Amino acid sequence: MAVRAQFENNNEIGVFSKLTNSYCLVAIGGSENFYSVFESELGDVIPVVHTSIAGTRIIGRLTAGNKNGLLVPSTTTDQELQHLRNSLPDNVRIQRVEERLSALGNVIACNDHVALVHPEIDRDTEEIIADVLGVEVFRQTVADNVLVGSYCSISNQGGLVHPRTSVQDQDELSSLLQVPLVAGTVNRGSDVIGAGLVVNDWVGFAGMDTTSTELSVVESIFKLQDAQPTTIVGKMRDALIDTHS
Amino acid sequence: MSSIYNFKKIAPVPEAGDFLDIVLSKTQRKTPTVVHPGYKITRIRQFYMRKVKYTQETFDEKLHQILTEFPVLDNVHPFYADLMNVLYDKDHYKLALGQLNTAKHLIDSVGKDYVRLLKFGDSLYRCKQLKRAALGRMATVMKRQKDSLSYLEQVRQHLARLPSIDPNTRTLIVCGYPNVGKSSFMNKVTRADVDVQPYAFTTKSLFVGHMDYKYLRWQVIDTPGILDHPLEERNTIEMQSITALAHLRASVLFFIDLSEQCGYTISDQISLFHSIKPLFANKPTLLVMSKTDVCTIDDVRPEERQLVENAVSDGVSLCQLSSYHETGITETRDLACDRLLQQRVEMKLKGSKISGVLNRINVAQPGRRDTVERPVHIPEAVLRRRQQLQQQRDAAGDDEDDETMGRVLERDLEIEGGGAGVYNVDLKKRYLLASDEWKYDVIPEIIDGKNVADFVDPDIEEKLAELEREEEKLAAEGLYDSPDESMDEEERRIRDTARRIRERKQIIAQTSHINDVNRAKLTAKAKASVSTTEDFSEHLQRLGLNPALADETAQRAGRKRGRSESQDPAVKMARSSSMAARAVSVIRDRSVMGLKDERSRVATEKSKSMAMRQRNLMARAGEADRAIQSKKPKHLFTGKRSIGSNDRR
Repeated sequence: MAVRAQFENNNEIGVFSKLTNSYCLVAIGGSENFYSVFESELGDVIPVVHTSIAGTRIIGRLTAGNKNGLLVPSTTTDQELQHLRNSLPDNVRIQRVEERLSALGNVIACNDHVALVHPEIDRDTEEIIADVLGVEVFRQTVADNVLVGSYCSISNQGGLVHPRTSVQDQDELSSLLQVPLVAGTVNRGSDVIGAGLVVNDWVGFAGMDTTSTELSVVESIFKLQDAQPTTIVGKMRDALIDTHS
Repeated sequence: MSSIYNFKKIAPVPEAGDFLDIVLSKTQRKTPTVVHPGYKITRIRQFYMRKVKYTQETFDEKLHQILTEFPVLDNVHPFYADLMNVLYDKDHYKLALGQLNTAKHLIDSVGKDYVRLLKFGDSLYRCKQLKRAALGRMATVMKRQKDSLSYLEQVRQHLARLPSIDPNTRTLIVCGYPNVGKSSFMNKVTRADVDVQPYAFTTKSLFVGHMDYKYLRWQVIDTPGILDHPLEERNTIEMQSITALAHLRASVLFFIDLSEQCGYTISDQISLFHSIKPLFANKPTLLVMSKTDVCTIDDVRPEERQLVENAVSDGVSLCQLSSYHETGITETRDLACDRLLQQRVEMKLKGSKISGVLNRINVAQPGRRDTVERPVHIPEAVLRRRQQLQQQRDAAGDDEDDETMGRVLERDLEIEGGGAGVYNVDLKKRYLLASDEWKYDVIPEIIDGKNVADFVDPDIEEKLAELEREEEKLAAEGLYDSPDESMDEEERRIRDTARRIRERKQIIAQTSHINDVNRAKLTAKAKASVSTTEDFSEHLQRLGLNPALADETAQRAGRKRGRSESQDPAVKMARSSSMAARAVSVIRDRSVMGLKDERSRVATEKSKSMAMRQRNLMARAGEADRAIQSKKPKHLFTGKRSIGSNDRR
């Protein structure tokens, strides 16, 4: 199931939300429309939590997390941390991280088992990531971009990476992550995948501008709604060639 | 993806009369209007020249806008070029634009000529007559463009109403004899609401509709019916179909009506198919038999059936559909789309741009790097719900399922609570705490000057104590002891050498600093010299002068004053008499003051005259010359006076 959504007329919904397999964080906006999109899909399964981080709404870019834990930047206030601790299930560990690269969502891309991180992240942070999120950590780039969290989106089922990632890089990343990967876009050609798309193992949300072709690729690679990644090279191949070249 | 062929933005073209009004009133508004015969003639000339020039420029600008906004037939896609030729007649169109261009040049030259003539205008009257003549001639030129302008306005209005067809995208073209069911098919596959009537030539122009198939957006073009006659005899309506068929790389659906309800026999229809067949070259073509609810291929006479089957050759497939029963429509559409897509993909795979997208049609499958299982985590609830939905769908066909299942969403609460901006979301509502009663408990942030958040862990004191114990243990083990004492002989020697090297380096740097002649130096302050009388007389002797007089004067000057102010009158007398010799004060020539001797005076004179030479040669006023900056300083001559105005007349 992949759904289109918009945060206050903005298509970069990955900036304003964080979706994992055990919780979902949503920024506090002017109206509840955005929240309710998530709530209607996830409400009875995992907690959908209103929050701010350091008083800002860009929570998706500032936090990193998965089923096991949540990392928040050092700028997070005590009250926000308290609110998160109260709202999230007890088995989710929450940790404040003292890291120079404080936009953790931009520098960390992770699923429940593996994390790709910015090559210049602190050693201590790397340990905390491995510890709190329970993942193997790899320092990597995506299509020569150090902001791995911005340029890819991964779940335990698959991953979508920057459209200019070469086939060799895709193979390398795929063998690290142990999930199938495809290069693509969201939001009608935007290459900041992490900002335009949030996804977990059974549902995905993309910006309102995302075309039906892009959404089909998302559904296939993340195996949402019985689709399989092989559709991309099979049924969708012709459509992709015709739109892209 | 919006088409680049958007003709909706062309500005309206005014009628010739309106055109004149627009330009002349603009001139009137934007140029000065008051002129007097008493003005200087140059000013009058300039006034009228400006009018003429401005009018000419405005005409130029307006005409230029028209000329650039209308599409140039040679630059647009051949489909549009041909379509415009069919609809508006290429020659007429080019002629109209050409005439406007000529008019523009004529007006320019009229303007130029009259500006030149105005330079010789010797009175206001003559200048005005010249201006009138210039504007009149420009207006005449413009009035002659009446027909071109009204034609272009019509073209503009029609162009704006043309369907926006993108000549390069995936397209299906529906064509055939009139009244064979082309528009009915169009209405079935797209949401375009094309008029369908039971008579021929209901569709009189191209219509475009859009549909989605295989994740892509497709464009369907409904064309007016074509009759089977030579190209020269075709009318404008038919020619539009021919243009679309000729220039768009599309999938062609040629409709035939086997029931002959359209009023044309099957053999007529097939012969049309053969006569326009050259237009289908290299295009996926489908021969579509419509109205199968009335008559199918099995119902027709064998010879006609033979005709139809003969028409099917390589590159042409046969389809059947009924828009009335809605059978075969999807199959026909899918076949047409698939064949076109296949052709396009084959072509693109040969192109050069394909290398950029190869990575996007590749799914990287991971090779196993270890034996760790990385399972997918989908909660039970999700799986249950999926199953439930599946069952519902199986049970109730394919109707819309209610995703939220009657749950009250935050958005509903917001609407109840007064809408966005008024409703205040309750953040604590969904807290997961051991007891629900705790949700709204007020927790202080600071207690006893301590931040409560720092003590969020109940065992924090113990943990801290443990950490401190560990630290003490480490300290006791000597982890933090500095290893200074262990400096051995070798290291000491190295350190000593290093120290000496540093000292030596410092010395070298300092000496070179001192010896550096090019170094910027502070000018030393002149020391106040202490000179004695002896020094002075010695100096005089060196110059060959007698120091005796100077000595005496010095002694006199240095003599102490007597204690009493009152002096012996005799002495006083004697002194004043000595002064009498100097009753006339010494003439002190300031031009030589401060100069040491004659030689330096001469040198100074010389350098002064040299410095002034250039200035004198050019007869320029120097700073020493008397100058009156302003003969009538404004502040002294303006404003009201107490006796009335400052106007003396």
